[in-house]
Amino acid sequence: MRVGSTMLVRQNLTRKLSRSILLVICIGIAFFVFGVLSSFRAGFEGSEANSERLVVASKIGGNETLPLRYFQQLGGMDEIAEVTHVTRLRAHTAGNERNIIGANAVDAQSYASVYADTYDFNAEIMQAFQADRTATLVGRQLAEREGWAVGDRVNLTSFVHMTQDASRDWSFVIAGLLDGAEPTVDTNFLIVRYDYFNAALLRNQDQVNLFGIKPAVGTDINVLAETIDMTFANSTAQTRTQSETAFMSAFLEQFADVALIVKLIVSVSFGTILLIVANTMIFAIRERTLEIGVLKVLGFSGSSIMRIILTETLVLFAAGLALGFALTAAVIPVLGDALSSVVPDLYLTPKVVATSVGLAVVFAVLTGFLPAIKALRLPVATALNHR
Amino acid sequence: MTISNNSTIELRGVSKSYQRGKSKVPIFDELTMTIEDGDFVAIMGPSGSGKSTILNLIGGIDTIDAGAISVGGTVLGNMNESALTRWRSNHVGFVFQFYNLMPMLSAAENVELPLLLTSLSRSERKKRVETILEIVGLTERARHLPSELSGGQQQRVGIARAVAADPQILLCDEPTGDLDRKSANEILELLQLLNTKLNKTIIMVTHDESSTAYAKRTLFLDKGRFIQQEMNQCA
Repeated sequence: MRVGSTMLVRQNLTRKLSRSILLVICIGIAFFVFGVLSSFRAGFEGSEANSERLVVASKIGGNETLPLRYFQQLGGMDEIAEVTHVTRLRAHTAGNERNIIGANAVDAQSYASVYADTYDFNAEIMQAFQADRTATLVGRQLAEREGWAVGDRVNLTSFVHMTQDASRDWSFVIAGLLDGAEPTVDTNFLIVRYDYFNAALLRNQDQVNLFGIKPAVGTDINVLAETIDMTFANSTAQTRTQSETAFMSAFLEQFADVALIVKLIVSVSFGTILLIVANTMIFAIRERTLEIGVLKVLGFSGSSIMRIILTETLVLFAAGLALGFALTAAVIPVLGDALSSVVPDLYLTPKVVATSVGLAVVFAVLTGFLPAIKALRLPVATALNHR
Repeated sequence: MTISNNSTIELRGVSKSYQRGKSKVPIFDELTMTIEDGDFVAIMGPSGSGKSTILNLIGGIDTIDAGAISVGGTVLGNMNESALTRWRSNHVGFVFQFYNLMPMLSAAENVELPLLLTSLSRSERKKRVETILEIVGLTERARHLPSELSGGQQQRVGIARAVAADPQILLCDEPTGDLDRKSANEILELLQLLNTKLNKTIIMVTHDESSTAYAKRTLFLDKGRFIQQEMNQCA
């Protein structure tokens, strides 16, 4: 489109300014809903989930346990470079049942090896962690949220695990603060030492919730997952091995199919927007039938008029998208604070931004296409007789 | 502005009819006429006699059922829609009864519209628009929207837009039909000026007999045929 033709686009968009503004708001709300829900979904699934790492859990379900002896067996497999185990404390801060804390009992050395890419296990905090059996490493986000500092005592009450004195209360001393390798990594959790935890358990000793596996270089993770599950197929505790990403999604789907909910809401909102904008554009073009005829008389080709109309819808969607981003950017930090215990990692990801831009272009073309094609095919003589 | 090459308009055995419901209503049957380059022709006739249809056919915005129309040797029937559009932008300017200006564009921007299709630069377009607005006496109103102009001024903008790309032929469909006498005379004087000074070929459809005085000749159309021709002494 010629630069000069932008004045026609401007004319058409400002002709009924309130209509254009309402359309932009309408589109903006759709992208706001998409931005927030998609960010929520991404945050819910955890951005630190790694598709190259494997998680081995009980085949029965995420709440079931696996025997600790699998740790040795898995460690002996050639296709596995590193293996660790994780046991969930299922705890809340003492005296506040609603303040649930993500707390895991881990084997310090192997855990640090498997998740070295994700968290900053520097020598100082590892040394402090290993020096005291009751030590805990607290993620920096969690420490900031709770106002905890190194040296503080953390008192937790487990929903399920009892100590040998028949209490559900557990106490740990903060040995260090754990940072993510990237600023976006969620550190809203703490880890304690499994050797201490296991020894203090009243029952269910030598059981873990899952194994984290870092495959050897060049290993096909799908084949490895099958091999692991086959290895334990005839045992009393069968396994289900998945990529970390798949495991995280499956874990969350125990509570709700977040992906499906997000898709449904987004589809409905975008479907509605599509109909509103397309309908409005059709009416807007019908209003301009005579002008389109005049433009054709002046020598504007059908295709150039079509381009002008498509540019109009593109501008509308671009403005709506910008509004949607602005709203999302303004709301996400507030939502992030309010939902930090559920979605600790809520932010507008580059993937959501890129998807939004792609959707805006697709919807602009879709909504503009019908009126544009009508304008293209409109006979000049018919258009000139339109009043 | 330059004086274009010969653009004699020839209609040979032109037939045209419109479909109204199930019946076909004939407009012309084997109509033949020639309009020489630089002519100023007024066409009069009752409503429905086909006056506007003639303009649409010559301007290539409607098609004939039979016969041939040629302009400066170019046979319009041989061109497809996009070729006709290009041809029209180079050779024909239209002036409408109700001006048909773009309501959200200023007078200058309306005049600039056909220039967007040329290879002129922005500054060249601006200069051309200024010149044309000066010719039609609207330099002071260049930034005004059509709604801020009188009917006569809007029609001046319409004429300025029609001649902006320097076409040889001006097709005027009742250009004074919406104007008071004074404004109408000013518009007709302007058209006459374009004909006499710039040698534009002008075909003007009108209901107003006094308007024909500004043309070189008047053709009377009735039931699809030219029934009379008058040469105008005043023109």
